Amino acid sequence: MIFKALFLQLFTRPVTNRFPAKYMPKSVLGFLEKVGEGKAKLVPPVPVTEGFRGKIAYDREKCIGCQMCIRVCPARVIEFKPEEKKIRMYVARCTYCAQCVDVCPVGALSRSQEFLLADYDRFSPNLVVE
Amino acid sequence: MREKVKPEEKAEANEIAQACSTCFEVPIGPIHPALKEGIRFTFWIEGERIRKVDIRPGFMHRGIEFMGTKRNLIQVLYLAERICGICSISHPLAIVQAVEQAAGIEVPPRAQYIRVIIGELERIHSHLLWAGVAAHELGFDTLLHYVWKVREPVLDILEDLTGNRINYAIPIYGGVRRDVPPEKYPVLKDALRYYRSLVDDFVNFFLRDPSIEARTRGVGVLTPAEADSLCAVGPTARASGLRKDVRQDWPYFAYPDLEVKAITPEDMGLEVRGDVYDRIVVRLLEVVQSIEIIERCLEEMPDGEITAFPKVAALLAHLKKAEGEGIGRHEAPRGEVIHYIRLQAGEEAPVVWKVKAPTYSNLMPWYPMFRDQEIADIPIVAASIDPCICCMERVQIVRDGRAETMWREELLRLSWDKTRRIVGGLGASHVAREGI
Amino acid sequence: MSGVNALWQAILVLVGGGAVGFLYKGLDRKLAARLQGRIGPPLRQPVLDVIKLLLKENVVPRTAIPWLFRAAPFLAFVAATTALLYLPVGSLRPVLSGYGDLVLLLYLLAVPALAMAMGGFASGSPYAVVGAQREIVMMMSYEFPLAIAAVGIAWRLASLGLSPAFSLATIAANPLWGAVGPLGWMGLLFLFVSLLAVTPAELSKIPFDIPEAETEIAGGLLVEYSGVSLALFYLADVIKTVVIAALVVALFIPYGIAAPLGVAGVGGQVLDLLFFLVKLFGVIFFAVTVVRVAFARLKVDQVARFYLLPTTLLALAGLLLLVLDKVVMGG
Repeated sequence: MIFKALFLQLFTRPVTNRFPAKYMPKSVLGFLEKVGEGKAKLVPPVPVTEGFRGKIAYDREKCIGCQMCIRVCPARVIEFKPEEKKIRMYVARCTYCAQCVDVCPVGALSRSQEFLLADYDRFSPNLVVE
Repeated sequence: MREKVKPEEKAEANEIAQACSTCFEVPIGPIHPALKEGIRFTFWIEGERIRKVDIRPGFMHRGIEFMGTKRNLIQVLYLAERICGICSISHPLAIVQAVEQAAGIEVPPRAQYIRVIIGELERIHSHLLWAGVAAHELGFDTLLHYVWKVREPVLDILEDLTGNRINYAIPIYGGVRRDVPPEKYPVLKDALRYYRSLVDDFVNFFLRDPSIEARTRGVGVLTPAEADSLCAVGPTARASGLRKDVRQDWPYFAYPDLEVKAITPEDMGLEVRGDVYDRIVVRLLEVVQSIEIIERCLEEMPDGEITAFPKVAALLAHLKKAEGEGIGRHEAPRGEVIHYIRLQAGEEAPVVWKVKAPTYSNLMPWYPMFRDQEIADIPIVAASIDPCICCMERVQIVRDGRAETMWREELLRLSWDKTRRIVGGLGASHVAREGI
Repeated sequence: MSGVNALWQAILVLVGGGAVGFLYKGLDRKLAARLQGRIGPPLRQPVLDVIKLLLKENVVPRTAIPWLFRAAPFLAFVAATTALLYLPVGSLRPVLSGYGDLVLLLYLLAVPALAMAMGGFASGSPYAVVGAQREIVMMMSYEFPLAIAAVGIAWRLASLGLSPAFSLATIAANPLWGAVGPLGWMGLLFLFVSLLAVTPAELSKIPFDIPEAETEIAGGLLVEYSGVSLALFYLADVIKTVVIAALVVALFIPYGIAAPLGVAGVGGQVLDLLFFLVKLFGVIFFAVTVVRVAFARLKVDQVARFYLLPTTLLALAGLLLLVLDKVVMGG
C-alpha cells in the first residue's frame, strides 16, 4: 500500500520544476518581457551537464570550407556558401547529434550549452548561425 | 480515407454477425486516451465481455527505411535512432552490428562494454516509463507520478554520460563516440545504489497493492504455447515462461562475458501464469538485472580504444568501399529488434535496409490476450506488451488514394514473386530498388 | 417562518453552498496533487474551468436524442442544488425542514446519477452507453448499504422516542453516539464506515469512477457533453460533494463546538458554522481525496462485489448491533 509515501509527499516540496514560473503566466511572451525589464523573476531550468549537446557554435575564422559537416549532417541543417567558402546553419532543423563537431578537421564547430531555442520564426537571428 | 471492401472482409463481417447477434461494436482508436499511438481496435462487445477483436495498424507509417536508402550510413544511424523515442539506443545498436558485420569492422572491447552500459541504462528508464504508463491505464495516477519522478535520475545519468536525456547519439560504426571516463563511475554507482534502494518500494506499490492485483491477475493471459507459436518476444514472452532473450541466446557486444540469463516470474518464486501481473514482475526483475549488469560492466571494463575509426572521414571511406550484407539483433527493452542491411561498393547509401521492431512480433499475441476480457481490461492489456506502434509500422498499402488491406494469400504470393525475382538472376540491389 | 425569509435563506444557502463546493473542489485538486508530489492547479481553477465551459459551444451530436440530452444536465444540477436546502448547516436548521426528510434527500442524491445515465444513453455514443450501464450497475450496488445506514440511524432515534425520526433536523440535533450502549456504538461505527465507503462511489471518484473511466471509455457518460451542459454536470458534481459530506456529518458527527465552549448567540452560530466546514473538509479529504489517489480503478464487477458483499454485510452487521443494543438497553 502506498499511504506512507503519499503522506510523506504531502509534507515535502513537490518535485515539479517550476520553470519558468510556478503557474502558467497569462502570456508567456508578456512574462518574458517583464523578466527582461526586471519586474518578474524567472525560475531557472534544470542545469545541463558539462558534456551537453546543445546549439552548435561556429567559429567562422577557423572554417576552411571542406564541407565534411554537410556530408554527415543527418538533418541537412548546413548550407554551403560557395562564394565565401563558409557555411550557414539553420538551427530549427538541427537534431543535436553533434556529428558535425566530431567530423570537423579544424575544430571550427563546437557544442554549446544553449538549449532554450523556442521561437515563432524559424529564420530568426537566434536560429541561423553563420 | 475509406477502405475498399473486399469479399474476404464481407465474409468475415457476416461471420461475426452470425456468431454474436447481441454484440455491439466498440471502436478504440486510432485516437483514444488508452492508446499512446495510433492503432485501431474494433471490439465486438457483449455486455462488458469482448467476443471478438480486429486490430488494424497502418496509421503511423513514416517510410523511414526508404529515407535511409537516400542517405549515407552515418546519416542513417541518426535516422535509426529516431525510429523509436524510448528505445533510442536499441535501433542504433542493432544497425551498427549489421553494418559492422557487412563491412567487416572489428570493435574494441571497451566500446562493447560502453554500449552495454548505455543499453542497460535505457532498459531501466524504459521499464520505469512503462510502469508509469501501465499505472495510468489502471487509473492509478499517483504511481505514474511517483515512477516518473524516480525515473529522472537515470535520465540525468544518461545526459551526463552521453549529452542528452533521449537520443543519446553514442554508438557509431566501429565503436562509440564518447568514453565513460573513470571519474564518472561514482555518479553512476550512486544512481545504481538509489535504484537498488527503490526495489522494495516498487514491490510494495506494484506487486502488493490489492487494487493493482485485482486489475492485473488473470487478465490478458498468454499461455506459453501461444507465446511460442505467435513468436512473442521480450518481456511479453518471458512473462509467459519462455526463457527467450537475445542477450542469452545469441550474445553480442560484451554480453558473452556477462552471462545474462533470461528472466521469468519463476525467478521471484512465482508460478508462471502469463498475465499482466507477470509482465509487471518480469519488468521489475529486469530493472534489477540491468543494475547488476552495469555494476559488473564497471568492474570488468577493460581500458583501451573506444572506436576503430578515430577519424570519421576514414570511416566514411571504409563504408563506401564495403560490400556485403549484415544482420544486427539487440534485446531492446520491448524485445528483439532486428536490422538487416545490404551495402554495395561505391554506394554511400545502403541498398537495402529492413527494420523489425519488437512490437511487430508482439502484435499477434494481442488476439489471445483480449479473448473474453472485459472492456475495462482493454487499456492495460493493450499497454502490457509495451507497444511502440511508430517503430513497428513497416508498410501501408495505398491504391488510388485508398488504404487497402492485404490478405494472407496475397502477401504469400508477393513474397514468392520477390524470391523468384531475386533467385532468377537479377541482382539483389536491383530488386530492392524496384520495391515489392 | 415567513415566505420571504425562507427565500432569502435559500438564496444564501445555495450561493454559500456553491462557494464552499468550489473551494473544496480546488482544495481537493490541490491536495491530491501534493499527495502525488505535484504542485497542482491554483485554488481558483475549478471556477476558471466552469467559466471557460460556459463560454464554449454546446454541441449536440447528430445521433443523440436532443431534448433528453439537453435536459439531463439541468435535472442533475437542480436535484443537487435542491438537496442543499435539506441540509442542516452547523447549528442552523435546514431551510426546507418540515417539507421533506432523509428519504427525500436519498432520492435527490440518486437523481444526478440517474440523470447522467439518461444523458449517457441519450448521447448515442457507444462509450457513453457503456458508461451509463456501469453507472446503473454501480448505483444498484451502493444504494443498499447507503439506505441501511440511513434507516438504521432513524430507527434507533425513533426507538428512543424522538420524532419525526427521519427529519434531518432531528437527526442532527440528537447525536446517537452518546445515547447508545457499547454494542450500539460498535454498530454506529460499522454504519459510519460503510457510509464512508459509499461516498467515493456516489461521487464517481477513483477507484469507483468506472462510469467515466478516462483511459477505458474516454470519459464515458460525459464523452459527448460540452459547453453549458458539461458545466452543469460539473456544478452538480461540485455541489453533490458538499451534500454528501454534509449528510455524513449530519448523520454521524453532528456535534458543535459552540455549546461546549460556552459561546452563545450569533458568535456561537458562526463558530458552529466554521466547525461544520472543518468537518466537511475532513470527510472530503479522507473519504474522497486520499482514496482517489491511493487506489487503481476497479472493474464494474469488482465494484458491484465490493458493495454487495463486504459493505452491505458491514452495514447489516451495524444495523443488527443497533437492534441488539436496543434489546440490551431496553430503550
